[in-house]
Amino acid sequence: MILPQFLILAAALFSLGVYGLLVRRNAVMVLLAVELMLAAVNINLVAFEAALRTSQAVGQVFAIFVITVAAAEVGIGLAIVLMIFRNRQSANVDEFDLMKW
Amino acid sequence: MQIDWLAIAPEIVVAVTILGVLAADLVLPRPLKYWTATLAVVGLTLAVVPLILMAASSVETRSLFEGSYVVDDFALVLKGLFLIAGYLVVLMSVSYIESDRYYQGEYYLLLLSSVLGSLVIASARDLIVLFIGVELTTGPLFMLAGWRKGDIRSNEASLKFFILGVLSTAILLWGMAMLYGVSGEVRFDQIRSALADPSPAAQPLVGLAILFVLVGFAFKVSAVPFHFWAPDTYEGAPTPVTAYLSVSSKAAGFVALFVTVYVALRDRVDIWGPGLWALAALSMTIGNLAALRQSNIVRLLAYSSIAQAGFMLVPFAAASVAGEQLAEGLAATVVYLVIYALMNLGAFAVVIQGARRTGTGDIDGWAGLGRIDPRLGVLAAVFFFSLAGIPPLAGWFAKFVMFRAAIAAGSAAATSLAVIAAINAVIALYYYARVAKVVWFDEAPAGAEPATEPPAASLALTLGIAAVATVVVGVFPAVFAVFGEATRVLLASG
Amino acid sequence: MVEDGELGALGADSYTRRGHPDAQVRMSAYFQDYVTVGVFIALGAVLVAVMLGIAAVLRPNNPTRTKQLTYECGVDPVGAGWSQTYVRYYVFGLLFVVFDVEAVFVFPWAVAAERLGLFGVVAITIFMLTLIEGLAYAIKKGVLRWE
Repeated sequence: MILPQFLILAAALFSLGVYGLLVRRNAVMVLLAVELMLAAVNINLVAFEAALRTSQAVGQVFAIFVITVAAAEVGIGLAIVLMIFRNRQSANVDEFDLMKW
Repeated sequence: MQIDWLAIAPEIVVAVTILGVLAADLVLPRPLKYWTATLAVVGLTLAVVPLILMAASSVETRSLFEGSYVVDDFALVLKGLFLIAGYLVVLMSVSYIESDRYYQGEYYLLLLSSVLGSLVIASARDLIVLFIGVELTTGPLFMLAGWRKGDIRSNEASLKFFILGVLSTAILLWGMAMLYGVSGEVRFDQIRSALADPSPAAQPLVGLAILFVLVGFAFKVSAVPFHFWAPDTYEGAPTPVTAYLSVSSKAAGFVALFVTVYVALRDRVDIWGPGLWALAALSMTIGNLAALRQSNIVRLLAYSSIAQAGFMLVPFAAASVAGEQLAEGLAATVVYLVIYALMNLGAFAVVIQGARRTGTGDIDGWAGLGRIDPRLGVLAAVFFFSLAGIPPLAGWFAKFVMFRAAIAAGSAAATSLAVIAAINAVIALYYYARVAKVVWFDEAPAGAEPATEPPAASLALTLGIAAVATVVVGVFPAVFAVFGEATRVLLASG
Repeated sequence: MVEDGELGALGADSYTRRGHPDAQVRMSAYFQDYVTVGVFIALGAVLVAVMLGIAAVLRPNNPTRTKQLTYECGVDPVGAGWSQTYVRYYVFGLLFVVFDVEAVFVFPWAVAAERLGLFGVVAITIFMLTLIEGLAYAIKKGVLRWE
């Protein structure tokens, strides 16, 4: 199998996601970055699964759970962003500095 | 399919309660919504029954789903802790939520979901199950932190918690995927045997996987240097939720971390041992130094809980850098965890009632509270001195167990960690005692009258349970040591 | 001159020379699948280029403002190309995604349904009922009402 290529792709996606999470100002873009990171993990899992050929396809099962949790998490995230948008009329993450970090 | 139903009965009871609370919220008219809280309390109480049955039975370890889900004494003790902590937080929340104008059903639904997640964590011996448990614990908390929808601070708390929470989830998952990649297994016992003798080419990957897992969990337990979200989230979230965050969710994160490193990665203690050492030392020191400068009581408790997390890690970290007596270290850590949970919940109940009496969260605003409301003043002194570790309160026993285990571990690194912990214990005394000093020795503001109305019954119950537990454990630690011993013996065999 | 054996080594079968034969056969089959994909992409590109090229050569070139408007099913386009979506779509999108993803758990059950028997049916029924309760809650809260 051509495992390294998949791992490199996943690592690149993950780094892109971390970058987006830390740099992007728009809250919706931050959510997209999160999705990117979780997708990278899924690529890893499925690639390892394909390379290892384990008996019960655990890697793919794991990926299915990650997909579900990712959907739930983005649901929560969008709900939070909507709630904030109603109060502030803005989805700019930088404006949330009421409390010092 | 053969399933030991008794072993998963607590989870089933809580899950059914969740569905029941949702259904009750669906059909009950507005004035009867308080029944959802009653349902939650009943459900959590019922869930304790199978735990007691299992503790009394002669079966020591119940293994389900081919070993992915294990109920041993370690799991039983922690499940008991999670249920009791959930119970106390629900009691604390009742009067708090009633005074708000938002719907109630969802609140208990989310809180119970989080409790269910932590119950799963205590038994998870499989990467997938553990991941589901961790997500079920933290997911609802993102929403609970933002419970006061109209309050911008609460919004901000929720957003910061969410962003760092999902970042930590992604990092943790990356580590888990790597672990799966190098071992080809997701079950902890199989991972352990696969990692016992990895090929040289896989060595760096193993190190990387452990690093990612460690960092992911460090975020979840808000250990320094991954703690930045905690003070802001604690300050902005509703106070009962903060209590839950600082106790149950932190404990769940710790349990997940311990189970992973102890069961699956025990043979690679050379990699994660120093990591735990650094986390413990940094958390204690930075948490304490930051707590010294806080003027808001909730922020003070936030940094104090970061420092306490460091103390908690000390016995296990000391044992792991020494490379021996891991089981003893873990047992001491679990004892500390349980005692911390009880006294910290009590401290937060005091904060809720104190904020209601004085109308402020500023420590200086609490001046003379001891004269306005003597009972609350006494309780404040009890919980804060217990957190500081002063005998004969429970916190003293926790600190004693911690130092004993750290010194027993023996090596130079372990002893130096104990020395750092000792210095920090002295620093911590200063800011805990300051609260007691303000409450008892500062002059009350002019015009303050002695309080007449008692606290809400549910909150008084919380305060009572936590106070009795704190004092009894402190005076008769032998009662409590039994739990620690049970943990130690069974984990050693597992 | 090269010998026959070495000519063969340059072909697609060269992978069988090294490593585990089974894995190598699988790998060359894997790459052959991608060769098919590559051929199709190339053919597609050529086809489009040829047709557009012929059209560009043959047709008269006489652009007007009306002709350069975006084609929207024959209706005159209104407003800018970038438009904001009504925020309520998010809620519907969310509900859809949640239920869509839950289906992921139903498919594996369907595949193994016969083997799992009654136990599987009960389990999946509880799962579905839980979801339906959530949906009922959403309806009760008025999330799905559109006014």
